[in-house]
Amino acid sequence: MSDREMIHNYLQSLMRFLSRLDREDADDVLREIESHIYDVMEMREENGQIIDASAILEGFGQPRDLASQYVDHILKGAPPPRGFKAIQSVKRGATSGLRYATALVGYVTAATLIIVGLYKLIDPDAVGFWANESGESVVIGALTEVPAGTHELMGWWLTPVALGIGIAAAYLTSRLLRVLKLKS
Amino acid sequence: MELPKDIESKWDAQLRKGTLELVILAALKGRRLYGLELLGQLQSLETTAITEGTLYPLLDRLKRDGLVDAHWQQEGETRPRKYYQLTMKGEGKLSDLTTRWRKSTQDIEILLHNPGPGPIRPKGD
Repeated sequence: MSDREMIHNYLQSLMRFLSRLDREDADDVLREIESHIYDVMEMREENGQIIDASAILEGFGQPRDLASQYVDHILKGAPPPRGFKAIQSVKRGATSGLRYATALVGYVTAATLIIVGLYKLIDPDAVGFWANESGESVVIGALTEVPAGTHELMGWWLTPVALGIGIAAAYLTSRLLRVLKLKS
Repeated sequence: MELPKDIESKWDAQLRKGTLELVILAALKGRRLYGLELLGQLQSLETTAITEGTLYPLLDRLKRDGLVDAHWQQEGETRPRKYYQLTMKGEGKLSDLTTRWRKSTQDIEILLHNPGPGPIRPKGD
């Protein structure tokens, strides 16, 4: 394996173990370590020394151990985003199953709302928010027949409201997933 | 039976662990250094020689704690480097740790200079 391949593999592996960090933080860590390694290699080359990538990498330790030093104190030190304090205890027990379920429910809800909002523009009569007289039964969606005994409540307002809530749901889901990703 | 060399390296490792933060803050006092430079300076001294794998995560923590500032900078043809320097908070922490360090070495000196069987007499008594 060439020196460059060895370094590439090391950084790839480190990147995987750093995946719990924010993308930006992980990129910063990788960039700094990469810069250090190539600086050392150049220095050795200039001094006519043997370039031994494995010796340089040895100082950093195993990618998993190095990454855990970055990740561990971030998990301890980072306060949760505002409004997410309650999630701290949930986070401790979060499994990947919970993450996938959150992603599924959050993004499907968001996508449905956004599609309904946009479809209203294409087929205004079919899409709406209907309720019966007593308000016990409501229907929201795209229908071929208006449900009997109901009337439409929102009209064109449906589009901005559905889009707004849809985008908000997608944003909240991504924030929530980021928090859950920190510890699992 | 432990060889003197083993004792030396074990002792150094223990001491480094406890003084690492002070060592890094002290090395950055009045200096603006990137990781490799800082590592070189620490490795030039016998008891503060640490590895890359210890230095970088620690710098990251010091940055998160607001004790150091870090900025990427590119000079001429060289690749960009991340430079570290002390913040006001870092200066304050360094000064506090320095005081404790000096107190600690003074106390140990007192112990070393006061062998038994009489009681230990702190200086000035």
